[in-house]
Amino acid sequence: MGALDEPDIAEELVIEVEGKQWWWDVRYPELGFRTANEIHIPVGEPVAIKLLAEDVIHSFWVPQLHGKLDMIPGHVNEFWLEASEPGIYLGECAEFCGDQHAKMQFLVIAEEEEAFRAWVAQQQQPAAVPASELAQEGQEIFLGSTCINCHAIEGTGATGELGPDLTHLASRRTLAAGTVPNNRGNLGGWIVAPQSIKPGSLMPATEMTGPQLQALLAYLETLE
Amino acid sequence: MTTAAEEPTGAVPPVPQHFPADREREELTTAEKMEQVWADPPGVVGWFKALQNDSIGVRLMMTAFLFFILGGINALLMRVQLANAESTFMSPQRYNELFTMHGSTMMFLFAVPMMEGFAILLLPLILGNREMPFPRLGVFSWFTMILGGLLFYSSFIAGTVPDTGWFAYVPLSGPIYSPGIELDYWLLALGVAEVAAIAAGVEIILAILRMRAPGMSLGRMPVYAWAMLVMAFSILFAFTPLVVGSLLLELDRRLGTQYFNPEAAGSPIMWQHLFWIFGHPEVYLQFVPAAGIVSMVVPIFSRRSLSGYTLVVIALVATGFLSFGLWVHHMFTVGLPQISMTFFAAAGMIIGIPAGIQTIAWITTIFTGRPVFKTPFLFIIGFLVTFVLGGITGIMVSSVPFDWQVHDSYFVVAHFHYVLIGGVTFPVFAGIYYWTPKFTGRLLDERLGKLHFWLFFIGFNLAFFPMHISGFLGMARRVYTYQEELGVETLNLLSTVGAFIMAAGVAVFIANFLYSRRNGQPAGNNPWNADTLEWATTSPAPNYGFAHLPIVRSRHPLWEQTGIEEEDEVLGDTTNTERMLQALSEWPLRWRAALVTGAINGEPVEIFRVSGPSIWPAVAGIALVAIFGAEVFSLHWLAYLGIAVVIISFIGWHWPDRIPFTEKEREFEEQFNIRVHPTAALRSAVGAWRWRSCSWRLPLAASCLATSTFAWRTRSGRRRAFRRWTFSSPALPQRCWFWRY
Repeated sequence: MGALDEPDIAEELVIEVEGKQWWWDVRYPELGFRTANEIHIPVGEPVAIKLLAEDVIHSFWVPQLHGKLDMIPGHVNEFWLEASEPGIYLGECAEFCGDQHAKMQFLVIAEEEEAFRAWVAQQQQPAAVPASELAQEGQEIFLGSTCINCHAIEGTGATGELGPDLTHLASRRTLAAGTVPNNRGNLGGWIVAPQSIKPGSLMPATEMTGPQLQALLAYLETLE
Repeated sequence: MTTAAEEPTGAVPPVPQHFPADREREELTTAEKMEQVWADPPGVVGWFKALQNDSIGVRLMMTAFLFFILGGINALLMRVQLANAESTFMSPQRYNELFTMHGSTMMFLFAVPMMEGFAILLLPLILGNREMPFPRLGVFSWFTMILGGLLFYSSFIAGTVPDTGWFAYVPLSGPIYSPGIELDYWLLALGVAEVAAIAAGVEIILAILRMRAPGMSLGRMPVYAWAMLVMAFSILFAFTPLVVGSLLLELDRRLGTQYFNPEAAGSPIMWQHLFWIFGHPEVYLQFVPAAGIVSMVVPIFSRRSLSGYTLVVIALVATGFLSFGLWVHHMFTVGLPQISMTFFAAAGMIIGIPAGIQTIAWITTIFTGRPVFKTPFLFIIGFLVTFVLGGITGIMVSSVPFDWQVHDSYFVVAHFHYVLIGGVTFPVFAGIYYWTPKFTGRLLDERLGKLHFWLFFIGFNLAFFPMHISGFLGMARRVYTYQEELGVETLNLLSTVGAFIMAAGVAVFIANFLYSRRNGQPAGNNPWNADTLEWATTSPAPNYGFAHLPIVRSRHPLWEQTGIEEEDEVLGDTTNTERMLQALSEWPLRWRAALVTGAINGEPVEIFRVSGPSIWPAVAGIALVAIFGAEVFSLHWLAYLGIAVVIISFIGWHWPDRIPFTEKEREFEEQFNIRVHPTAALRSAVGAWRWRSCSWRLPLAASCLATSTFAWRTRSGRRRAFRRWTFSSPALPQRCWFWRY
């Protein structure tokens, strides 16, 4: 079934997607960056997707682009993804994987060649250096808190790998694997009370004062 | 077949020719003695000892129905949660618990025990014999099943409800991601209920093969018995891999073995193979007996014989075999090699052929008959409509690329509810409306029955048809909520309304059953003018079934059999058999004599003694569940105690209570040239085992083996130092593709 049509893998873009409870770790190994819950692909070109799983079995499904393929710990599944029209396609986990299986979604964003290259170039940059005083204070709060145990921001001391990479957090459309749109209010709520937005999520609540939170949000918003 | 049934008269039909009126007078004099020998003992202790097939069959069915209600309540709560988008009616955790309990209950605690209850209740009457071969095994099965089920549900009281789905995929169900005792409840409580299913399966196979009326060759056997035979064999072969898989997973969880741990070169996919090689036959072993019920009910209400009997039987047997060859059907998205997916896709489509043969046989029977639309028949029509729809979507999902899209979406939820509710629950209700008069002596109310049918049918389609569409729109299975943007809110609301209409239908059924038990119209012996033997006795049927066993000369004895003098091709000298049966109805009235017949021809082989009431099977069942229950809570001392009690009760169970072989038995043997065994050993049935005490030593050996496994497990559990077996290098060589994937 279609074996003859498969393009030569070496010439093509390879994207690694790793399923985790309950989010998607997306890596572009050849291009050297990492993001989460959002997969950008060029329109009209087959892209090789490698599916992995870290903890339990998940299943990768973009209803409008491709059927399901499971992500199984200790095993790599590969397939080709191709979008013929530019657009934003909703993807979801299709294998029951625990409490928040329902809120484990992602977006596939198919762009024209140029837009895709621009996005890649932007993602390859290290994190923006905070310009404003408030943002600088926010960075200090981030680096001084428990956030860095799980999250990484390229170009800073934060190298945690348990949670999503935050280097270009502000460029992403959703938070918590498609649970809520990425805006200031939701981000603040997510940091302070993730369990009320996504009960059972592995992200613990972080206690901080109002001004501290404002500073942190100001910093995170610079991470485009 | 050209012989049409007689017009149903509604009144008591004529007494069949092979029960001449002058013989009934003689039976009256012996009927009381018969009753004394066969009746269950009275009182509370007697309730634990009771082993009549009527009481065990009814208990199994009642228990299954209780779990059907519980599983239904789980479903209704889930439907409330899904009625609108982003609902906060319950927590995600609670929702996951409910769908796990719903699926597990319906698959393990409703469908299988219900069908086995049907079989145990009806088979002796349908086959024209007096009792099941091992009634004590039936008692053991029932106690194990209900207590295992209650143990499973007691997880709600403890607040540790299993929450990884009825399929319990590892690693989610493994020791790392489900560290609590939730999954131990699932593995051990359901594991013990599986033992019950296997026990009843053994009994059903033997009843069908060796305990039929004289003359009932395989070709004259009602389709129902064929279906139950296929089901019972499937139970033996399907539940075994599940028990093995459950044991391995429990070892992983408690003892630290690494069968399914990918980090130590275990394979989570092996669990899927073990589970689905059970799980796929499981759905067919529910459908096959339901198809047997349909093949019994359709001809009666079409007032003609079943069209294509031989083909229908071949189709049933073929379904049984094929169902073991398509489990990978459930694993198309795992990323298997192309060749194995092609094989299993083909198998999935091939199994449509036997289902199609049966469907066409039923439709032909209805079209060429003169249908009477009574309640049982309405449920059959409901079955045909829904089952055909479910069958068509089944063929659709066996196509690999299509399955990639709809797998684990609500389309599949719609598909298997059409197959399981359409293909199992509708026929079960048809069977209940059809056979209840035989056991209560009263017909169920027609008006309430029709109300029940229409509520259930409309509610069902309203609940499940929209799910096809919501699946296409991208709604994944097992999600506790969905976003409004998905556009499935209206569809889900319809489903919820439909589910509650179905529930109202079931409530009407319960009311009907309670009302009609006391106030229903008296049924008479044969209210439907049916052709099979169960309708030849009184309603309710006596405990001993048949005092004078009928001789079967036709596939439709009550329709076609006339004179008794003719020679029978199967039995040879019928007069001798006839005299023997006459003597059997009068003579051994101090022990439970039943006739063993040849597996193929149904010729009389021997007279053996069916075991009588005993407290030990109940004790064994209770103690067995206690072992499994104790293991959930790691109460090893209780498990040891349970092991001791199980061993003692197995010995008590099989303790020979010999009845002396007197001159009367010898005379009977010589006169009719048939062996008589008052010592309770079904020796011919178990073939070449001539060793006198074998009947109790073999189960003892088996139970010792089983219990020693537990003993080893509990001992090792204490030695914490050896708790986790680790492998230094996970980079083991690639194994055979078949096991790896």
